[in-house]
Amino acid sequence: MDSAEVRRELKELMVSELNLEGKNPSDIDDAAPLFGEGLGLDSLDALQLAMSIEERFGVRVPEGDEARPIFASVNALVEHIVRAKAAA
Amino acid sequence: MRIWVTGIGVVSPLARGAAATMDRLVAGERAFAPLSLFHLASGDRPSAGAHGDRVQIAAEVAGLTAAEIAPPGEDEGWSRTDAMSVLAAREALGQCAADPRAMPVDLILGGTTAGMFETEDLLAQLSRNPDAISPLRRMLSHPLSSTADHVDTLVGPFRRIRSVCSACSSGANAILLGAAWIRAGASTCVLAGGADALCRLTYTGFGALSALDPAPCRPFDKRRAGLNLGEGAAFLVLEPEETARKRGARPIVELRGWAVGAEAHHITNPERQGTTAARVMNAALSRAELRPADLDYVNAHGTATPLNDVMEAAALRACLGAEVARVAVSSSKGQIGHTLGAAGAIEAAVTAMAIARGVMPPTVGLEEVDPDCRLVHITAARAGIVRAAMSNSFGFGGTDTVLVFAEPDRFPAPRAARRRAVVVTGAATVGAAGVRGVDASADYLDAGPPPPVGPIPFTASEHLDVARARRLDRAGRLGTVAIATALREAGAGAPNADEAQSLGAIVGAAFGSVDASTAYMCRIYDKGAKFASPADFPNLVPSSPVGHASIYLGLRGPVFAMADLGATAESAMVTAADLIVVGEGDAIAAGSVEEASPMIERCLGPMCSGIVGRGVRSEGASVLLFESEERVASRGGRALARLVWWTSWRGDGATPLEDAPAPEGEAAAIFARDELPIARWLERSSWSRAARRIVSPRAGEHEGAGGFAAAAAVAAIARGALRSALVVGRAPSRGYAMLFCAPAAGHGTT
Repeated sequence: MDSAEVRRELKELMVSELNLEGKNPSDIDDAAPLFGEGLGLDSLDALQLAMSIEERFGVRVPEGDEARPIFASVNALVEHIVRAKAAA
Repeated sequence: MRIWVTGIGVVSPLARGAAATMDRLVAGERAFAPLSLFHLASGDRPSAGAHGDRVQIAAEVAGLTAAEIAPPGEDEGWSRTDAMSVLAAREALGQCAADPRAMPVDLILGGTTAGMFETEDLLAQLSRNPDAISPLRRMLSHPLSSTADHVDTLVGPFRRIRSVCSACSSGANAILLGAAWIRAGASTCVLAGGADALCRLTYTGFGALSALDPAPCRPFDKRRAGLNLGEGAAFLVLEPEETARKRGARPIVELRGWAVGAEAHHITNPERQGTTAARVMNAALSRAELRPADLDYVNAHGTATPLNDVMEAAALRACLGAEVARVAVSSSKGQIGHTLGAAGAIEAAVTAMAIARGVMPPTVGLEEVDPDCRLVHITAARAGIVRAAMSNSFGFGGTDTVLVFAEPDRFPAPRAARRRAVVVTGAATVGAAGVRGVDASADYLDAGPPPPVGPIPFTASEHLDVARARRLDRAGRLGTVAIATALREAGAGAPNADEAQSLGAIVGAAFGSVDASTAYMCRIYDKGAKFASPADFPNLVPSSPVGHASIYLGLRGPVFAMADLGATAESAMVTAADLIVVGEGDAIAAGSVEEASPMIERCLGPMCSGIVGRGVRSEGASVLLFESEERVASRGGRALARLVWWTSWRGDGATPLEDAPAPEGEAAAIFARDELPIARWLERSSWSRAARRIVSPRAGEHEGAGGFAAAAAVAAIARGALRSALVVGRAPSRGYAMLFCAPAAGHGTT
């Protein structure tokens, strides 16, 4: 699975798992922050996203402080997933 | 008027019995042990995360089964929650020799899960083939109201019964409602409390939220890492001093103050600064006519989650001011865990016993206080006079409730309540005919085609900002739209900060989120506990739709859910009136939201609410906006109708409408469906010759049809088609009635 494929699937996952109704996966900015400003997600979304990423990609997303840089943006999440899959 | 607590009953993970529980709390014992009630396959989630691979612990009530309490041969339809409730209820009533067979006693029970432990796996199994769902006795314990019904069977008969849910403040809200009844002169003895048994749904849900500490928890500690779940039940017997004295009862403590308010902030996370919690603490002290200087002890909510404890400490500092350096604080959750819907009642019982015994129990598990949680923490039991004490309870959706107890006669008697007139200023239905405000809701009284079978047409984006409403499930959306419509038409839709604090909502569902709970459990069985959905879990608690509505609409007054089978809307409506009449709320949108579901249509409806073989099964939400007449006058609003009389009762053989004021002008008795008991009740009343109108032919058959009857009644009065309307609600062995009149009609207020 290359990073373009991961990126596409991740955005689809975000729209369906976080109920981003009316948003197209392609609307989600790759570099924008996911939390606070930007997409406006919060800690409950992070938990849901972490669970569904494990389910879909078989990749663990850490919790707490370790998770912060990984959840910075779609780009950061894609990078984490691709790296973790390569290491598996 | 003083309110005495004359009896206390507790079943906790530490002991069966209030005194034994308190002994063990004071001794510093902890009830945590490996989970034995059920096994959860963690699934193949590769995470080595906090839950799943480690030992799972909980604070269980050991050795307790439903069969221990259930009548012979009936245990299939009973739950462990029932068993704990019956034991605690018997203890509380026995302590003060209050016999419901010999004197009028009312029952209010708070909870979140009822028989979920007994029914959750069956729900998941049945959902594999919806066509095969049939009425099964095992589902009898599924409705939230089944616990109160079962307590009624073995400990009653109770005169009046309510089931209330506000997540983890449910038990405290039951006690608050009991206090309101006594203060209103509506009750002379109330058995009020909460009960919740452990189940897979809550265990996996708190796990999914990363809220569980795999080790025994550490409230207010720097290293706290979440809560441990517990289970239990507790009841207090509340009586006004005068009648309690007359029958020779003695006070354990006084219930002095109470308050409820909503944060309108987030479904799982508390406000960081604890602004609402502090406001509710202040309001409870004010109701108690006490100052922080009068308090000696606080039994904190203290869950040991990172967010709760820092919020609660901030709120306590804001409420107590300089006294925060003196008032001792402890959390019982380090010993018995978080008992969810029971917590507010168990901890109220602990707070009362701390006053009565003159000993404050410790926070066990607290070693190094988090600098952000600095308070006078007691880590070993402390003896000393406790003149007055406060118990805090906070629930999902930001539903905060605070109770204040005091030594009997330590402080001057609080002022008597001033009764206020209750009016209706808005009504709305979301049903087969679409989203309707008050005027168009009258159409449900007219002849016309039946609704289509199944889900009603509803497009959320036409009524809600779906980006902001993305966390609301279908029930949350239907309910929110009904409340928003009623508020908007009443001119109360854009409250300022002060108005929002006096605006609340009481909206329930007969069976809660059945399909969502089923889907959640199926996922756990199919994929493993580690794949439980953190986002879905908070939506499964019965108070979630109304909690979401409060967040979406900014309602900061009383917010909770009620459940009473096919009379849930009526139960919510009379409860709103019960609160407003004595000033426990100023404006409350009340009603129900019921969803179409194969499980309800084929099993729970026929089995529990007795709705079977009738007209077209449908669904819908309805609310009335009740306000105090003075609030309406002060905001320049307009009353559509006055609520001049209301009541509720148990038993189909009762003669509950004998006292109903007579019809006036054009009048009609309005109800959901034609049922023999309703006809009998009306025949033995001054309404025997009044016209009778039913709404289910147009609204469809569902547990919330009675709410449509109430909305249609107010609509007909607002239109001038009726001068008075008696709305009668019924479910098996229970009934409700509300008499609405034109605003200028001659009936005096009650």
